[in-house]
Order: sequence, then C-alpha cells, then structure tokens
Amino acid sequence: MENAEGADPSTPERSSPAQGPAESAPPQVPGAGQGQLLYHEETIDLGGDEFGSEENEPVSEDSSHFGDKLNEHLMESVLISDSPSNSEDDAGDPGCLQDVMEPARGTAGPTLEDVIDKGALDTPSDDVGSDGEDTPRDVSDVTPDSRASLKEDPEQEEAEDLPTLENGGVGASGPGAGEAPPGGAASGVCPRQPPPRDEPVPVCTIFSQPQPAGSQPPSLRDGFESQMVKSPSFSGASEAAPRTPPQVVQPSPSLSKFFGDTAGANSLASDFFDSFTTSTFISVSNPNAGSSVPENLSSLAATPGAENSPGSASYSPGMERSESGISSASLEIPQSPKPFSQIQAVFAGSEDPFATALSMSEMDRRNDAWLPGEATRKVLISVATQQYSTVFVDKEDLTMPGLKFDNIQGDAVKDLMLRFLGEKAAAKRQVLSANSVEQSLVGLKQLISCRNWRAAVDLCGRLLTAHGQGYGKSGLPTSHTADSLQLWFVRLALLVKLGLFQNAEMEFEPFGNLDQPDLYYEYYPHVYPGRRGSMVPFSMRILHAELQQYLGNPQESLDRLHRVKAVCSKILTNLQQGLAEDGSTSGLSQENRQASIQLWRSRLGRVMCSMANCLLLMKDYVLAVDAYRSVIQHHPEQEPQLLSCIGRIFLQIGDIKTAEKYFQDVEKVTQKLDGLQGKVMVLMNRAFLHLGQNNFAEAHRFFTEILRIEPTNAVANNNAAVCLLYLGRLKASLRQLEAMVQQDPRHYLHESVLFNLTTMYELESSRSLQKKQALLEAVASKEGDCFNTQCLKLA
Amino acid sequence: MEVNPPKQEHLLALKVMRLTKPTLFTNIPVTCEEKDLPGDLFNQLMRDDPSTVNGAEILMLGEMLTLPQNFGNIFLGETFSSYISVHNDSNQVVKDILVKADLQTSSQRLNLSASSSAVAELKPDCCIDDVIHHEVKEIGTHILVCAVSYTTQGGEKMYFRKFFKFQVLKPLDVKTKFYNAETDEVFLEAQIQNITTSPMFMEKVSLEPSIMYNVAELNSVNLAGECEVSMEQFILMLQMIKEMMMEKLGVTTFGSRAYLQPMDTRQYLYCLKPKKEFAEKAGIIKGVTVIGKLDIVWKTNLGERGRLQTSQLQRMAPGYGDVRLSLEAIPDTVNLEEPFHITCKITNCR
Repeated sequence: MENAEGADPSTPERSSPAQGPAESAPPQVPGAGQGQLLYHEETIDLGGDEFGSEENEPVSEDSSHFGDKLNEHLMESVLISDSPSNSEDDAGDPGCLQDVMEPARGTAGPTLEDVIDKGALDTPSDDVGSDGEDTPRDVSDVTPDSRASLKEDPEQEEAEDLPTLENGGVGASGPGAGEAPPGGAASGVCPRQPPPRDEPVPVCTIFSQPQPAGSQPPSLRDGFESQMVKSPSFSGASEAAPRTPPQVVQPSPSLSKFFGDTAGANSLASDFFDSFTTSTFISVSNPNAGSSVPENLSSLAATPGAENSPGSASYSPGMERSESGISSASLEIPQSPKPFSQIQAVFAGSEDPFATALSMSEMDRRNDAWLPGEATRKVLISVATQQYSTVFVDKEDLTMPGLKFDNIQGDAVKDLMLRFLGEKAAAKRQVLSANSVEQSLVGLKQLISCRNWRAAVDLCGRLLTAHGQGYGKSGLPTSHTADSLQLWFVRLALLVKLGLFQNAEMEFEPFGNLDQPDLYYEYYPHVYPGRRGSMVPFSMRILHAELQQYLGNPQESLDRLHRVKAVCSKILTNLQQGLAEDGSTSGLSQENRQASIQLWRSRLGRVMCSMANCLLLMKDYVLAVDAYRSVIQHHPEQEPQLLSCIGRIFLQIGDIKTAEKYFQDVEKVTQKLDGLQGKVMVLMNRAFLHLGQNNFAEAHRFFTEILRIEPTNAVANNNAAVCLLYLGRLKASLRQLEAMVQQDPRHYLHESVLFNLTTMYELESSRSLQKKQALLEAVASKEGDCFNTQCLKLA
Repeated sequence: MEVNPPKQEHLLALKVMRLTKPTLFTNIPVTCEEKDLPGDLFNQLMRDDPSTVNGAEILMLGEMLTLPQNFGNIFLGETFSSYISVHNDSNQVVKDILVKADLQTSSQRLNLSASSSAVAELKPDCCIDDVIHHEVKEIGTHILVCAVSYTTQGGEKMYFRKFFKFQVLKPLDVKTKFYNAETDEVFLEAQIQNITTSPMFMEKVSLEPSIMYNVAELNSVNLAGECEVSMEQFILMLQMIKEMMMEKLGVTTFGSRAYLQPMDTRQYLYCLKPKKEFAEKAGIIKGVTVIGKLDIVWKTNLGERGRLQTSQLQRMAPGYGDVRLSLEAIPDTVNLEEPFHITCKITNCR
C-alpha cells in the first residue's frame, strides 16, 4: 500500500512533488508567523458535477493495481477537484473561512478557495483566491431530494411530490423523486462512495446481502409522509436545506463482514489453520474405525502402517502383520473392489450366519445406523432378497464419484517469499508435500496434523485414485467401501477447511443427497455380510449440509440439516421405544441401548448446533438464539459457552441490555463450577459488555485481568491490544501483540492476530512492508501450506 | 520496495484509520467423530485454534476481536471516530509538530483535534496519536482535512495536508400518518424503516410532544390498561406477558424481535391529547399545528450508537367548517319512554 500511495501520481498527498517545497517556501511564512501555525483554512468544494466520477477514480485505480483491498481501513486521501461551474451559495458558508490563521493570507479575505486540482497538486498558486467563488455549495441545490423535505404539507398524501426546495430550478425532479435520487445530471453529488470491496478478507465473511441495486425504500404508501430525520443537536442548515440521502448503500463496515454480506461468501470464508504442536505425531487410536471389511477387499489395508490405520481389519491381526511386513508403500497394488455384480458372483452363497453375527458388532450398528429413503429402502430390500441374481439398479441411482481436479498443491507462503524475500529465503521454506510422506493413512494424518492440508487433499486424491475413483472417474461405475467414503470425507472436509468451497461442491455433487443404495452396507451383502447401515460417515452428512451455507445457499443448508435432524430424531424415538436404531425389533441390551441413545443424542445436538450456526449466518438472530438455547439441552456441559455466545449475538445486534442478561446467567451457571475456565468466561463477558457500552478502558482492564490469571490466553491478549488501539495507544498495542507472537509463535500466529498486527503496522508508519515481511518469515517457519496469506496484506 | 519515491519526502507520515467497532472473528467448524478416519484430529485442530470458543469449538461466533477491515458506511446520527497517527519516518528529530484535523461538511467546518498545542519534538520512529470523535449531523460529503506542520532539524518549516473524503448516508426512513379521533385526540402512526445494511437495535423511539399536547405511547403491552377486558382475556394477556418475561425481553408490541433487519419497517403508535388550556386554540381545531418530534436512538454492531430526531411533525386539523358540533356526554343506556340528557358543544371554528 505504501507503494500504492507513492506511485500513484494522482493522489494528492505528502508524496506529491510539488507540494513539499512549495508549502514550505519562505514566502508562505511571514516573519510574524514564525513558529506559529501554518495552516491554510480553506473551503473545499463539495459539489461539482465532476466530483462524483473523479472521486472514485484514484481509489479504484489503486485497488485494481495493487489488488489490496484489505487496506481499506486506512482512509485514502482523496483528490478534490475544483469545479468551475460552481453555483454560488453564500448562505451555505457559515464562517468557516473567517478564521484564516495565516497572516499572509488575511488580505485575501475570507472567501479564499483552496483549489486542489489533479494537475496542480495543492500548489500555493492555487491558494490565491483567484476565484472568489464561495464554496461549499449547498448540496441541496444539486440534489433535490424531496423525501427529505420537511416542508411537506401535512395533509398531502404524496408529500414528496411537492418538494419545497429553495433552489427551484433543479428541484424539478418530479414525482419520481421519491423513488431514488436522480442518478443523472441533476444530482451533482454522486452518492457513491469508493467502490464497495467485497474482496476476500481474512476474516470469514459468511454471507452478505449486497444491497440490491434498486433497493430504495419502497415508495410511500398511502397516507404516510416521509419525515426528515436529523441529528438532534443539529440545527439550522439541515432543516433549511433538505439534502439528498445518498441512497446507494454499501455493505456496512464491520457487521457486513460477519453479518452483512452474502456476496463472495465462498471466497471470503477463509482458511483456518490451527496451531498445533506438531513435533510429535499424534497417533489416533480409533479401534472401531472401519470395519469388518475383509482384508483382501480393502484397498488400503495393503499399505504399511496398516496396523495403525483404521482400515485394518480388527479380527485378523495376524494376517495384517504379515502383510505390513512385506508390502512396500506402493499404491499401485490396489485391489480395488470389483464391480458389484462380479463380487456377488464370487461370493454368492458363501454367506455364513456366524460370520454375520461376528462382523456386525454393536459399535458398527450403532454408528452406521441410518434410515434410507423409501426408494432406496426398496432397492436394498430387493438386494437382500434376491441373493442369486444381480439386482438391476438404475445408473442414476448409483454413486459414481471421481476427483474433479487434479492437484491443488501449492504454497502461497512460498510464493510470497519468492516475491518479497527472494529465492534464497524461499528455498528455506520446507513443507511436507504429498510426496514426502508415506502414501497411506499414516502419511495423511501426518500432513493434516502439521497443517499441510493442501498436500493432504492431494494425498487423499491419490488414495482414491488407487481405489478407482480418481480423476475423470466420475460417472463411471464403481463400488464403495467404508474406507473409500472415509477418504472422501477427509478430502472434502479439508477442502472446506481450506475455504475451497466450490471445489468441494464439485466433488460432492455425484454423492447426491447421500442416500443412494450403493452407499449402504446392505447393497454389498457378500462384502459386508450381515452388516447394515450407511457407509457415509455422519460427519460427512453434516459437512454436506453445511457446505451450502458457505456457497451462499443457507436455506439449502437448513433443509439438509432438517432432514438429518429428522432421521436422528426418528432413530432416537426407535431406541426409546425399545426398538433397534432402524426400527427393527431386536434385543438390545440395556447397556447397548443407553450407549446408542447417548450417541444419537449427541448427534442430534451436533445437528442443532449446525442449524444455529446457519441461522446466525442468515442473520435470523431470533431463531438462531432459540436454536442455541435448545442446543443447551443436548450439551448441558456447554451451557456457559452457549449462553455467552448468545450474549455476544445480542451485543452484535446492538441489544446491550439483553446481552447483559445472558452474561448474568453465565455468571450464575459458572458459580457452580470452580476453576479457571469459568472465571475467564465471566471476565471475558464483562469485558465485552464494556465494549458494547463504548468503554474501551474498562474493557481493557477486564481483558488484562484475564491475562493475570491466565497469561497464555490468546483471545484476551489480542483483545486487550485491540482496546489499546481504540484508546489511542498504538505503540502499546503493537508491543503487546508483538510480544504475544514472539512468546509463542506456534500458538499465536493466528490469522486474526496477524491481521490486527499488519493493520496496525500500516497505521503506524510508511515502512510497514519490512515489518510484514518479518511476519512472513515467522509464518514460513511455523505454518503449513494451509496458511491464509491474505491476513499479511502483502499481496 | 519504495517505487518511484517522491522528490521531496516529508519526514513525517500521517495515517488515518476510521475506528468503527471491532468485529468478532468467525470460524468454520469442521468436526468428525472418533470413529472416523481422522479420529480426533479435526477436533484437536479446532481445540488448538485460539479463535475457537474454549469448550464449545463448534460455535461459529468466536471471541477474538479483529480491527475494522474497511472504511464502511457512516450514517447520520452516528459518531465518526478516527485514529490519526503522525509518525516520524526519518532518522532525525523533528520539532514543533502541530497536527490539526478539521471536518469540512457542506455547510461548515469543524475542528476535531483534541489539542491545539504543538508538540515540542518527535524522535525518530515515534508517533503522535490522536483519536477524534464527531457526531455526524449532516448528510452528504464530508472531508476530513488533516494538516501537519513541523520544523526540520535544519530549521526548515514544513507543511502538508491530506484529505479524506466520505459520504454520510441516511440510516432511517421515517413516515408518519395522523388519525383524528372525534374526541380531539390525535393518533400518530410512525413507520420507521432501517435503510442501512446492518441490523439495528431500536433502543428508544419516543415522541416529544409540543407544548400543546400530552402523549401516550401505545407501543407496549400495558397491564394496567384502561380498556376493560374479560377475565379470560386478562389471563391470556398475563400468560403472554409471562412468556415474554421468560424471554427476558421487554413487553413491547414487537414481541421478541427487538431489532430491525435491513429494510425492515416497524410501526409505532402514539396518542396525543391536547392539553386543556389549548383545547380551543386555533391549531387544534383549524389549520396546522406542530405536534412534536420523534426521537430515535439505535445501536448496531457492538453497541455502535446513533441518534436522530425528526423535524417537527405537523398536523392539519380536519376541516370542521364554520361551526363544529361535538358530543360531550351521552348515556350508555337509556330507558324507553324516559327523557335523558346529552351534552353538546358547539365551537365556532371561524
């Protein structure tokens, strides 16, 4: 951005060559004014027909050149052009010119106009009041807006049709005036601001509601007069001269980012990386994962490390060990499942009730239970009954996924390093790629846990290719295993985590609504004898539903979540009525039933929470709050967090009183628990409340109080620093954030912290670039390939 | 990386940032279950993310504050706050620094600087900070003019200015309608529409009546209402009120929806009674009277506050002609064949 300012010749700033020397030239400083003020009091033309168009120009140019939309928070100085065709309106000039403090210019009289022009950037010659013309022009004379007129005849139904404008000539905007401010020549002041930036920002913007172009307030209904609103302490001018409310509204500053815009939801929701202590590999023990898949059918079981992998068959440990001993990491030996009919032919008649009983473990049944749709259920029944012949299933009812894109590998951090730090520095950047790890689930977990998600997506792709569902295989018949679906889940989940929603959507598409018959174990009676339920992980259903909200279709998300919720509720009802999950009569032991009920309750809670999140994105705060409250019943252990969250929602709406009530409830709830977490929560809420009351000093005090009892609290640290900035203590704020990042870079190099830090660097000096580059280096040594470089604002 | 450095560079740099309220960071929760392939990995990643809520990582709305990302919109009645930072980018001490911030509107020029005294000296890499606040009282173009003057080590006087332009937009659309009752009462219906792009919490909407009227606000469910209700209705009302109390929300006619979404409109109703001493005054029975004005206070993101008043609302009395006949008293029921009293009032409206 510094470059931007320096390079853009049209920005009349400190950098303008003409300005510096000219302004400081001795003639400007008469002896009497020595050491005194050097201010030019000038009036700036606010009217000007050319104004509107020109005002946008430098800014948009800037942004298109440098593509750095994140710097918007710093105000851009603008070009102010003089419009020679000013109509005079002395009345609108309330003595702002009288207090010309510069003695030399006292003679020029109070009507000096400081002309700032594109050509002559603020040169002193312009200061000579050559045109005694008085600005500011009253906006009303160019922008008649009858809506704001306060002189309406009270009995007039369509008051806006009769604007009583002082400047009659321009006021002839006719009855249409109520609809919109005339965009044409009549409205000299273009209400447009610098173009709204819906660019990706590191902070996740989930949806936006860009003001529809023509979304002016609807024209007046019968009997209603529009009323002028004004600030209470303002008198005179605005009453006398109704002004155009610029009706072009942009997404609002802050709220829009979270609550406002829908546009660009996909691009905006940013990646989130997590800090992780990656030095040791996190071994995940999930003995139940997977499955009773016969060894020879599992494409993944042949890879080394299968012992640790969930893909291994739990009932044949001996065999597995021997396999892992001999096989090398080659993926080229996938024994990908044969097409369904063949498999059936091979296994026909080999069904063994004993095997069935063995493989159908309680855990599997509980986890995989799902209620298929009516059509799917019929197909599954016919598969179960027609054991000796192939069941014909319409191709459209089959799931035929395939990779839709080959390779999303890439490392944005390295790219930036190449650009800003040179090749030598960039060479030092080492991240694991899909090639550098074992081509197995072990390698996959390694990539995920060290935050190389792009590489992990790639590795998932390779493993799926080995399974016969690789690039270009979409639409070709295939068969599924529990493992292949788990791989898909991981890949799609990572794509969502990376913010690559479109890609995820593309690859999700062949799965339809996750209810096709070939996604059920019953479809493969010989591969999974006796096993019932869905191969689709429950989390994948949630992901499938949630994805839509990030693509800007929150309604579709809600629909899908409701379907998931309906099944969860039905299963819970079945269990409570003494049936098995799927409604069949089976003797579940009490213990098993309780475990099942617990699992499905927590799943129901998970769905409810997703629904609440989705409603929050839809800005339906009333329903969102209701949904969060009902989540409390499913996750009572999270009550204080949920209540705090509701309180924060009310704070964001601006309803401070209700927020306070919820925060008080949190205090009551946490009184029962002792321990650090409760105390931190209470203090955090108090701080937020003070923030809502505009009391940054008190908010800062409470955030600092948290740091006293929990010095490593990243949120309190960051928030305290933010408060300091609002208190006018930029340097102190920077020191706090810098200290925090240096103290534990692994943990604190968080996107939001870095964003705040770079924002303050930009505010601090013109040399923010070096400091940002230093941050880039810090990031390079700690972060994986999923790091969202946008927060560094280097682009 | 300074491209095309200006010939004469100032030793000081001026930066201005609008301070809208900070926002809360939002997460994208992705979870999995123990049994899934990543095991606990996804959940662990979320637990390690400092921006998630400790103990409830699935919640989207976090606690991490982020600074404003762009200038955003500013609306009439809101407070414009801005950080002004003057930084010494050079390696020499600069003297007699004076920073001045003025706001130029279409009708006036205001000085926003907190102090008008010069700073004696500014060491390299130090800065002068100022946070300015201004309640915006005009619609349209505003220009923040920041001027910096200083003296270099060589005694040279330096001066530069920067201009920051922004538009102030109208936040609300207010429409009013009067209903005249037979009894000299005037009912005012006000429609208030949120024409911003963010939800708006209406903290206060009240009618400040002019000297001639008393006002009763009809926007809350009133227990001690004058109207008579049957016992059943009363119990029903009590239940409603109880429910609303449970919701911990005020007992307004707007129910639990305490805020206005963008483009949402809300109706407020007021009953105005002329004061006794003015009952016969010209304005009440004839011509135009000033009724009062609406005072509106709202809040948006994290308590960002705004306040507006309408201009004086004016009402045209219904045309009664020359003479007006009104009933002062009439019995509810009368017996057949019995005389009864009614009191009439005849007013000369000329």
